Amino acid sequence: MTTALRRYPVLIALCIAALFMVVPFLIVAVNAVKSPTEYSQNGPLSLPEGLYLDGLKSFWQRVDFGQKLVNSVLISGSVAVLAAILSVLNAYAIGIGRIKGRTWVLAFFVLANMLPQEALVYPIYYLSKQVGLYDTRLSVIIVFTVIQAAFGTYLLSSVLGQFPREIIEAARIDGADKWQVLWRIVVPVSRPTIGVLLVFFFIWTWNEFLLPLVMLISNDNQTVSVALGVLQGQRLMDATMTNAAALLGVLPAIVFFLVFQRTLTRGIAVGAVK
Amino acid sequence: MLTARRRMTARRRMTTVAAAILGGSLLVSACGGSGGGGSSDAKTLKLWHYEGPDSAMGVAWNEAIKEFEAKHPGVKVKFEEKGFEQIQKTAPMILNSSDVPDIMEYNKGNATAGALAKQGLLTDLTAEATKRGWDKKLSAGVRTTSMYDTNGVMGSGKWYGVPNYAEYTMVFYNKDLFKKYGIAEPKTFDELTAAMDKFVAKGVTPLANAGAEYMAQQYLYQLALSKADRSWVDKYELYKGKTDFHDAAWTYAADTFADWLKKGYISKKSTSTKAEDAGVSWIQGKAPILFSGSWWYGRFQTEAKFDWDSALWPGSNLTLGSGGNIWVVPKNAKNKDLAYDFIDITMSKKIQNLLGNKGGIPVAADTSAITDPKSKQLIDNFNTLSGRDGLAFYPDWPVNGFYDVLVSETQKLMTGSEKPDAYLSALQQAYDKGAPTK
Repeated sequence: MTTALRRYPVLIALCIAALFMVVPFLIVAVNAVKSPTEYSQNGPLSLPEGLYLDGLKSFWQRVDFGQKLVNSVLISGSVAVLAAILSVLNAYAIGIGRIKGRTWVLAFFVLANMLPQEALVYPIYYLSKQVGLYDTRLSVIIVFTVIQAAFGTYLLSSVLGQFPREIIEAARIDGADKWQVLWRIVVPVSRPTIGVLLVFFFIWTWNEFLLPLVMLISNDNQTVSVALGVLQGQRLMDATMTNAAALLGVLPAIVFFLVFQRTLTRGIAVGAVK
Repeated sequence: MLTARRRMTARRRMTTVAAAILGGSLLVSACGGSGGGGSSDAKTLKLWHYEGPDSAMGVAWNEAIKEFEAKHPGVKVKFEEKGFEQIQKTAPMILNSSDVPDIMEYNKGNATAGALAKQGLLTDLTAEATKRGWDKKLSAGVRTTSMYDTNGVMGSGKWYGVPNYAEYTMVFYNKDLFKKYGIAEPKTFDELTAAMDKFVAKGVTPLANAGAEYMAQQYLYQLALSKADRSWVDKYELYKGKTDFHDAAWTYAADTFADWLKKGYISKKSTSTKAEDAGVSWIQGKAPILFSGSWWYGRFQTEAKFDWDSALWPGSNLTLGSGGNIWVVPKNAKNKDLAYDFIDITMSKKIQNLLGNKGGIPVAADTSAITDPKSKQLIDNFNTLSGRDGLAFYPDWPVNGFYDVLVSETQKLMTGSEKPDAYLSALQQAYDKGAPTK
């Protein structure tokens, strides 16, 4: 009884926090199914009088949303996989290989991570134009693979720095070379952490706006978050359609998160035990 | 136990393989699909604009595309709808590459089209404009934003753009609310203030306003314009002389605006609201009067559930407004002749009349062909304005980044943390810093 009593405040606090997280999403969902007239008459907080799906439908057709989904999945998926591989290779050298000057290398990665993307826009534009990759999805994949891998390297290096030496030495004695140690020992053991990185990379890349906006000019190459920008007019905004678009935009990321949430919790729990 | 573990490892191997295949195939398709972009020949016209498909411009231009394809057999129009934000942010970069459209809509003004013209990214349209008679179709006020000199300053020099429509500001009255409180719709400026006094006495804030966006500064500029003339506007917008913010017009504007806040014509609560909020409060019948631009017109026509009217600002020859956004032809465009033909079609009577009937303000329409009464009123008011050369552009145009200065300074004026005199000095300082000296 007393433990239950003691738990209640925590529970209530959690509920309130959860409410704060969910409310913006609810508002988006509610307004996505309202007609523009209803929105203007009753404001954003009223409940919809009926299900109005034209906003969702016409937005889908207007921007050819299916194509945008394919582009976003392609870009985010490739970035997640490639950046994770790159991070593992880097971190193996820094965390387990303990190369000389690793503190400086890590510091460099952190610095690169802190660079605002606005500063990168022009150099990346110029370079990609020089090599003929401007307005291609490949250019965005390369750029984000590097950006995400910078963070991944930083994180994984500190994780692998704590890697039990005994296991590696045991493998060495059994005759494993460096490559085998990496793929047979290190990667399987750190799988949860790598899984978390994959999920994060995917969702972060999915939500990226500025660089895809600059780099992907043709509508055929654009990502979901850039497509949402079509609705922001010069002086007017179509509030209900913007909400419909936002709903369509976040749904895939939420689905992805739900599918992989076991990986996520496992990864975090592994960290906690240590 | 043992079998379970083996199954686990088997499954793990499966996922690893699946991940590898997924990664590989994603990469391959990413490389494969990237060839799209730049290929253009005389068989396609690559067209970009950022107007919604249901807006007056969207409808009219759709029709223009159909007509263009009918007149040019074998040529396809490859239209891509863009976001305003994307074009605004990336135009200089796009136009400097080879992936340019043949024709695109672009924002008019010194900081936008003027800057591109100055960098040599746009095609000079002067010869086409005179040959095809576009210069004769556009009135003087509308024409200002089509021409830019070598410094990118609008109003003179070469033609770099052609607008299909115009825009201007007006007063929107909610007639039902005027009737409900027994107040007559004002015809003169004195009647307007008298009407606002009555609303305040009944506990209603008469003017819808948005301090966080363009609306508040537009009230101020309109007040200044009511005491100004064309040469004052030329000085301010086209740098033909020195602008003094402590002159009679600006002083009157700042004092009157501060006075209106004191009298409760404008709510202090509107300091941090957005234009969307102000528009919605008018649609909901909360505010009886809104002063804003023709870009609201179509929306009000469909969404306002009460009897309403619009009129030019009483007691002023000048009001805010200009030619609309312009068609520009990038320097690197591959099919310029097709682009000129397309512009010509959008300037034809048929497309212009359609634009007018859908709630836009055409620049070369046949007024008698406009059938919708509300649209007719909108266009008639514009013709009145254009006939007396009353388009005075927007207050934020002369200086790059002046918009943000105007918003934040006007907010200070609204909260009372800055007196009108200090407000004008702050504007003067920002203007002098940014305006080109001649």
